[in-house]
This record gives sequence, C-alpha cells and structure tokens, in this order.
Amino acid sequence: MPEAVGTEPVVKEVRIDASPETVFAFFTEPDKLTRWLASEATLDPRPGGINHQTHPGDMENPRGPYYMRGEFVEVAFPSRVVFTWGFENADVGVEPGQSTVEVTLAPDGNGTRLRLVHRDLPESERAPHDGGWDEMLSRLAIAASGGDPDA
Amino acid sequence: MQDAIEAIAEPHRREILRLVRDDELAAGAIAAHFPDVSRPAISQHLRVLRHAALVSERRDGTRRLYRARPEGLAGLRDFLEAFWDERLETLRREAEREERKKRHARGRRN
Repeated sequence: MPEAVGTEPVVKEVRIDASPETVFAFFTEPDKLTRWLASEATLDPRPGGINHQTHPGDMENPRGPYYMRGEFVEVAFPSRVVFTWGFENADVGVEPGQSTVEVTLAPDGNGTRLRLVHRDLPESERAPHDGGWDEMLSRLAIAASGGDPDA
Repeated sequence: MQDAIEAIAEPHRREILRLVRDDELAAGAIAAHFPDVSRPAISQHLRVLRHAALVSERRDGTRRLYRARPEGLAGLRDFLEAFWDERLETLRREAEREERKKRHARGRRN
C-alpha cells in the first residue's frame, strides 16, 4: 500500500471579543464545549487525557450520532490547546488518533485572536467507492445540521 | 459548497440523491417514490439539486433523466472547512456572551 499523503491542513482564524481565558474554557469544560461543538463531552484536559465528544449528526440519518474519540496532546492555559481528532464511526473516514487540531489563542486588544489548524487529515479522494457517497452525504448532513444550535 | 449543504439539508432531497446514485431515473419515476409529495415539489427539489451540481439532467425526448454526480460533493477537507467556519462562528458568539456575563458580574461587585 502506498504511503498515504495527507491533505493540506485546514487553517482558520477568528477574532473574538472575549479574553483568551474565557475562550480557552470553551475547549476544556464540557458545559461550555457543548455550547458550540458537540452535544455531549467528556474532557480530561491534560496531556494524554481523553477528549470525547458526541456530535448529533442528522436526525434523518440512522447512523448518527458520531462519536469523536480524541486525546489532549497539549494543554497550556490560556494560550494553546492541542487534541487528536477521529471518529469511532468508520463512515466518517477519520480514525481516532489520526488527525490533530491545534488551537492557539493570542491576546488582541480586549479580545482574542484564535487560530485553529486541523492537520494530518487523510487523503479525501477516497470517494466514491464502497459507501463513499453515503459517507459524503453524512458528512454534509453534519455540517448542515450544525448550522445553528439555537434554531 | 454552501449550495450542496443547503441542498442536502432537506430529507427528501437526500432520498432523491440515494435513488439516483446508481440509476439514471426519469422525474416521474423519482416522484413515484414519494406518494406524499406533490409533483411540483419534486421538480423543485430536482432543480435545487441540479443547481448545486449534485445531479445531472439529460433529456430523452420529452423525458428528463437524472443521475447523481458524486464529484459534486466536496471531499473531507472541504467539509471541514465549512464545519470549522460554522462551529467557530458559534464559538465566537458563545464566548462573547460568556464574556459579557463575566463583565456584568464584575460590574455588580464593584
């Protein structure tokens, strides 16, 4: 089997009108993480500690919910948190431990500049093969259903 | 990408995509799978899917035939681009709400 070549990392930056301390807690405290990223979370924010999240997926999709089974790699309050990102559900196509999310929080005036780098992603050109189409539909359905948690 | 996400947010349209994944089907045959949905509604769903480049349309005489375009769906990386955009926007809103709460609480103590 040829060695898998990862895709380019996904890089996002966002300015938040809140202190790095406030923002940091949204990655390490379950009652805050569930306000933006997951419906349930079990977090042990120290290197090697678990970072388990349940993503609701799509109500119409009987294969949801999606179970993210990550581990914290770095936890440096309030400036940096790194965790692995992968799913128990094989159809998502990212295995536990496979990819990594690095979050850096820098003070910016009264707020925070957040930079998120999601790296070590598997090659995406797997689809369409066995189940590739359903896989893509499921992924898109997660994005679609995650549009607005207040809706 | 946003077109594709919006297109498949509707359950009937996802079902249509599954129907035409392996078989090219006429609009009538697709509509026959949905006894509870009006024919114009099915036509509208097909238009949305075509606009999002998720299905292709071919004319055969008076019939219109539809087939899924798997290449119309973006890969994992594109998915995550949209996923993190949406989630980080929610994070920004929630963190700012939290910060206002803290500032308010501090203000009351002082």
